[in-house]
Amino acid sequence: MTTSRLKTFPGGLHPADNKLWTATSPIENVPLPEELIIPLSQHIGAPADACVDVGDQVKKGQVVGSAKGFVSVPVHASTSGEVVAVEPRLHPSGRMLPAVVIRPDGADAWREDLPKGDPELLTADEIRDRLRDAGIVGMGGATFPAHVKLSPPEEKPIDTLIINGVECEPYLTADHRLMLEEPDRVLRGVAILRKVLSVDTVCIGIEANKPDAIALMTEKCAGSGVEVIPLEVKYPQGAEKQLILAITGREVPSGGLPMEVGVVVQNVGTAAAVADAIIDGMPLIERICTVTGSGVVAQKNLRIRVGTPLQHLVDQCGGLNGEPAKLIMGGPMMGMAQLSLDVPATRGTSGLLIFREGDVPLVEEGPCIRCARCVRACPANLLPTTIAAYTRLDMFDEAEGYNAMDCIECGCCSYSCPSFIPLVQSLRHAKGAILEKRRKMS
Amino acid sequence: MAELLLILISAIFVNNFVLARFLGICPFLGVSKKVETALGMGMAVTFVMTVATVVTWFIQYFVLIPFGIEYLQTIAFILVIASLVQLVEMVIQKTSPVLYQSLGIFLPLITTNCAVLGLAVLNIQKEYSFLEGIVFALGAAIGFTLAMILFAGLRERVDLCPVPKSFRGTAIALVTAGLLSLAFMGFAGLVKG
Amino acid sequence: MLAAIISLGAIGLFAALALGLAAKKFAVEVDPRELAILELLPGANCGACGYPGCSGYAKMVVGGDKIAATCPPGGSSVMDKIANIMGFAPITTEPKVAVVICQGDNRKAKDKYRYLGLADCQAAQKVADGPKQCPGGCLGLGTCARVCPFGAIEMTADNLAVISRKKCTGCGKCVASCPRKVIRMAPLDATTHVLCNSHDKGALVRKYCEIGCIACQICKKQVPEAYEIENFLATVVYEHYDKAPAAVEKCPTKCIRDFMISYPEGSSFAEATVPLRKKDEAA
Repeated sequence: MTTSRLKTFPGGLHPADNKLWTATSPIENVPLPEELIIPLSQHIGAPADACVDVGDQVKKGQVVGSAKGFVSVPVHASTSGEVVAVEPRLHPSGRMLPAVVIRPDGADAWREDLPKGDPELLTADEIRDRLRDAGIVGMGGATFPAHVKLSPPEEKPIDTLIINGVECEPYLTADHRLMLEEPDRVLRGVAILRKVLSVDTVCIGIEANKPDAIALMTEKCAGSGVEVIPLEVKYPQGAEKQLILAITGREVPSGGLPMEVGVVVQNVGTAAAVADAIIDGMPLIERICTVTGSGVVAQKNLRIRVGTPLQHLVDQCGGLNGEPAKLIMGGPMMGMAQLSLDVPATRGTSGLLIFREGDVPLVEEGPCIRCARCVRACPANLLPTTIAAYTRLDMFDEAEGYNAMDCIECGCCSYSCPSFIPLVQSLRHAKGAILEKRRKMS
Repeated sequence: MAELLLILISAIFVNNFVLARFLGICPFLGVSKKVETALGMGMAVTFVMTVATVVTWFIQYFVLIPFGIEYLQTIAFILVIASLVQLVEMVIQKTSPVLYQSLGIFLPLITTNCAVLGLAVLNIQKEYSFLEGIVFALGAAIGFTLAMILFAGLRERVDLCPVPKSFRGTAIALVTAGLLSLAFMGFAGLVKG
Repeated sequence: MLAAIISLGAIGLFAALALGLAAKKFAVEVDPRELAILELLPGANCGACGYPGCSGYAKMVVGGDKIAATCPPGGSSVMDKIANIMGFAPITTEPKVAVVICQGDNRKAKDKYRYLGLADCQAAQKVADGPKQCPGGCLGLGTCARVCPFGAIEMTADNLAVISRKKCTGCGKCVASCPRKVIRMAPLDATTHVLCNSHDKGALVRKYCEIGCIACQICKKQVPEAYEIENFLATVVYEHYDKAPAAVEKCPTKCIRDFMISYPEGSSFAEATVPLRKKDEAA
């Protein structure tokens, strides 16, 4: 094995990846559900404003929620049909948030005026505007609007574009299947991103547990100047700052963004969506999602419409296998636990994990035994146990002094804790309290 | 020179005022919740100890001994030290409000501190020369500050620990102080002092 | 003997002179009224007045030409004395206490998911808006009890926050700490409260809570001026608090409680049910 020579970052850990369940299952299309619930808040930043009314007929790809502000993107209808409600619905965040509910008419007809274009003829600004209009966001799960990431200020020159095909979250295989089945689509998107940022160095980082994807991408990239870099299998290899450190050796400074070290990172799924948006004019209305876990009958990779209720996805996988104990949208490490299967899938839904009782530890926390496993695992080099202890005493100044704000919320600390202490939640709480305090100060 | 160094080392570690002689326990327990305040207290004590040594040395050798009233040593020293600290407090408050903010609040605590009086008395008992006396005072003060900071650091860490309810607060502080004192016992025999 | 008296006397005299001179030369003006006010204040440094600690408050009072804010923990007696010191017209303050307007403890109100996390209400609220099915109910993780500088809040065995009307000084720290706004400031005299914070419709409330307000209007029919119902939730009109107790017995879900008679189930503050009303004190 040559793992020791593979690039990586300090810290992190090796959770059982459980990817074999779905790594070889081809992507399947999902028939339209009876109702699509399209949340207006599907990205980081200001939610979109609904711009359709109940009773309106909408076409596939039509804007149903318009963007509000720079860090915001519009929301589109995922199919053609009738708007039956514009009301608060259960959102993956657990809150009731406004959504546009569409009853599909079955025709699945695109709107006529799709802005198809030739990436060679468009300027960088035009491409950015089109990406924004198409609602392209980071597909790795954070759903940060792509056009914002692609608009670095002039004093921060970008020299490297990293395409994130790491998929370090256990269970998930959506990016893996995308790279295997549609490599050309991904690479078309990579070429567009490269043009927008006008950078020469482009790397695709892929974890070494996907040798077939590495081989295929390397073959397809030959001669294009895009380098495929195999990376050590370790969580959170796909976290933005850890990926940059592994590939370029540059460390993003405390409190800084990747652009400070001249790097922009985009997910492979985002690259594919960029290709669709620029070449075919298609807005972001579908994505690939892995439905897996012991709680479903058949584990699958599905191509899903944004707004599909999770129950519909489970039905496609043969239904529930026993009584579910925990539903997670996204990966098991950073995903969000869900209250019910009535929640719709969004642009950031990279996976749906369903576990039965017994497969997930539902244990009360115990006392800290100072084993320092969390300290060793923390990829941001923090002391999670100390920060969590300060958080418990509401001593947020001290927590800030221990650089709580640099936490990337990867969950390594909570995963490694033998006492099941909710460390990452404490850190997140501390971050919230520190931000709140900073807001008050200014 | 070697003699002076030995006096210094001895006063800092071997015969640490707080942890070996058990003098000045009240500020040691009282103002040791945070490292910052412990440091402020240590600085104030260092200042007062040095000045007090100078003054009491003169009182002893130019007033008490010539008049043959050494038996009034304690009263005279208390009188002098207390008024001296008051004086210093007033001067600092007027001349440097910033220093007063950080140091001044500790000064009234030291006026009748047993560590300061003990130092003055020990100085005379050991029949130190003026220079030796100053070095001894400096050593004692550094030892005090060191003990304060170590202890405050420990207390900050203990705050984070799930201490049993009946032990919280002063109880665990006293246990910690005892353990720290035990650790300093390890220096015994390092220097004869 | 003589030498002793003379030399010690001389030292003393010298020290006294030095101190006396220094006191003159290095005198720093401190308004004696500021110190007097600081003496009067409770010294909890709770920040309820909006100034940094009791000393900040005293400074503000002495520095200004009127009392810009009151000291809720001190109450009217302290405010009267401060006004007296400063020669200002006395300020009338209405004593207030904080009330947890929820009785839905673990046994009475249902959870929507099992929460195994940080024992802090603000942290729990960030996880899908808190584990309680009721959108307004007390989460029972004790954040308010931890911030209370007066030890006036207890958590019952079934995880419900209850505030002692005797110990509460009305500083309002708990109100700011509660992520669900289930703690409300109310006049001390008003002892009757509708202890529910859910604006959901009655049928829905019934599903998740045994003791929530279902907006049945019975209390309003009983005493029209003392109750109002807005958004499916009854509240006591505090101007007419004295008439409110008449409806307590009629409430079908028992969510109206007169603290004169009893505290919520599981609370140890029952001893505080001795008369608390100002009128009773005066009588």
